[in-house]
Amino acid sequence: MKIELTSHSSHIVIVITGEIDMSSSPELRARLLELIHKKPPVLFVDFTSVSYIDSSGIATFVEGLKGMMPYGGRLKFVSIPPKIAEIFGFAKLDKVFEIHGSMDDALRP
Amino acid sequence: MTDDNTIKVSAEYLRKLEKKVEGLSALAEISEIISSTHELEELMNLVMERAKKEMGAEACSILFYNKQTNKLEFEVALCSDDSTNEMLTKTVTLEMGQGIAGWVAEKLEPLVIEDVRADKRFFGGIDKQTGFTTESMIAVPLIGRTGLIGVAEMINPRRRDYDQEIFKLLCRQFAIAIENALLYQESIRKERLRQELEIAAVLQKSFLPALPHFEKGNLRLSAITIAAAKIGGDLYDFIEPVDGKVGVLIGDVSGKGVSAALYMAKAVSDFRYAARLQTAPGKVFDEMTAQLGDSPRGMFLTAIYMIIDLASGSVRVASAGHPPFLWITGDEVKETSLLSGPPLGILPLEYPSTTIQLNPGDRLLLFTDGLFDAQDPGGERLGFGKLIDFVKGHRHEESLTESLMDYIISLEQGADRADDITIIDIKWQG
Repeated sequence: MKIELTSHSSHIVIVITGEIDMSSSPELRARLLELIHKKPPVLFVDFTSVSYIDSSGIATFVEGLKGMMPYGGRLKFVSIPPKIAEIFGFAKLDKVFEIHGSMDDALRP
Repeated sequence: MTDDNTIKVSAEYLRKLEKKVEGLSALAEISEIISSTHELEELMNLVMERAKKEMGAEACSILFYNKQTNKLEFEVALCSDDSTNEMLTKTVTLEMGQGIAGWVAEKLEPLVIEDVRADKRFFGGIDKQTGFTTESMIAVPLIGRTGLIGVAEMINPRRRDYDQEIFKLLCRQFAIAIENALLYQESIRKERLRQELEIAAVLQKSFLPALPHFEKGNLRLSAITIAAAKIGGDLYDFIEPVDGKVGVLIGDVSGKGVSAALYMAKAVSDFRYAARLQTAPGKVFDEMTAQLGDSPRGMFLTAIYMIIDLASGSVRVASAGHPPFLWITGDEVKETSLLSGPPLGILPLEYPSTTIQLNPGDRLLLFTDGLFDAQDPGGERLGFGKLIDFVKGHRHEESLTESLMDYIISLEQGADRADDITIIDIKWQG
């Protein structure tokens, strides 16, 4: 797994490449919590190049979301590939996270 | 008069010989200490104390090389003042190349310095901190089989006539002993961890039903669960919440290890408590999600809970972010996605309950994602689609779950399993 930070219309975008699993989620957790510590109003996660996510990876995002909720921050997932969409679909994560087709969709008011 | 067996030696030769014997006996004594213990701290303290005495040194220390930080850290410091020892081991580090020890660690060469004040390499900062006055010093790199371990130092040694060769030999032997003790310490730590995990795995199993099968009236239940190498968090339960009804729970805790095992234990307890109070499966999940909400690290539970009416074959189902189950009815295998909520423990939501009606001969197959996430040695996952295809091809088999497990095992070809696999087979005879 590789994590890169970019920005889009002055918002932070976390771009993840590869598998988010037991071995890589601690690194994701550290980066995510570090970002959330600064209380960004919105954090975007770009899933375009994510090939797999297991429950420990999802739990990492749940922890991030729970960290953002008290100050009204929003965690938005964008560009989810079909394989990941299947996992998210089974887990009904659309009821937990805000999921958008693209960054432009996510930014549309 | 001398006879032929008498050899004349010079006083100088005799003095050298005596020194050699003295050195060798000290070496033998220290070797004995080295072989007497595997305990790292004891080993280092005993050897350094003995070497300090041998050299008449005022103080001595061992600095370990930290590969991660590329710095030297005081591991042992022996001088007359305990607070200085503590301060050195807790707070002082040296860069590679800094001070005498840093130089020795970088060059991997020993140094004997008669007067440190005349040596530019000497770093006076430590004396300033400790109030100790270093005058002379012997520093030796400790080099094990895997490279630099650290540096051993003797401060203000009164004795200068020791045998350098024997001293080097001793340091070499000492370095290997430290390396062995470190490996021993690591193996003990791993063994302890392994035992802890084994106990956790046994305890975790004790939360599952004592028997993996259950029969009542027209209903037959069987479960199979196979743990991955690490402790996972699959769970299932068969209960009779009220007369004439049987409850079946399947669940999967996020993550692995002891934390997952503890969370699973809590989830099963919460479930058993809620299942006695609530008659609708969705209500049971409402209770559970509230109870599991405060868990650390975003942990959650995906689950399906069904309450089967033994008289009618009607089934009330609730699903919380769990993969769909398969419904084998007649010649059909249906992927059954019901109205579902997200996993339990994330948000305080209300979970709907849905009713389905079983026909005689129907079968429901519930499983955790470890089943369709199973990987071949190349990392290719089975996938939900192929799982359905397999079940379609074997839907009439009595031992469908065994066939399925055999299929997974042949797919994995001995590759490490990343996740637990649990399958529950529900047969309704009607």
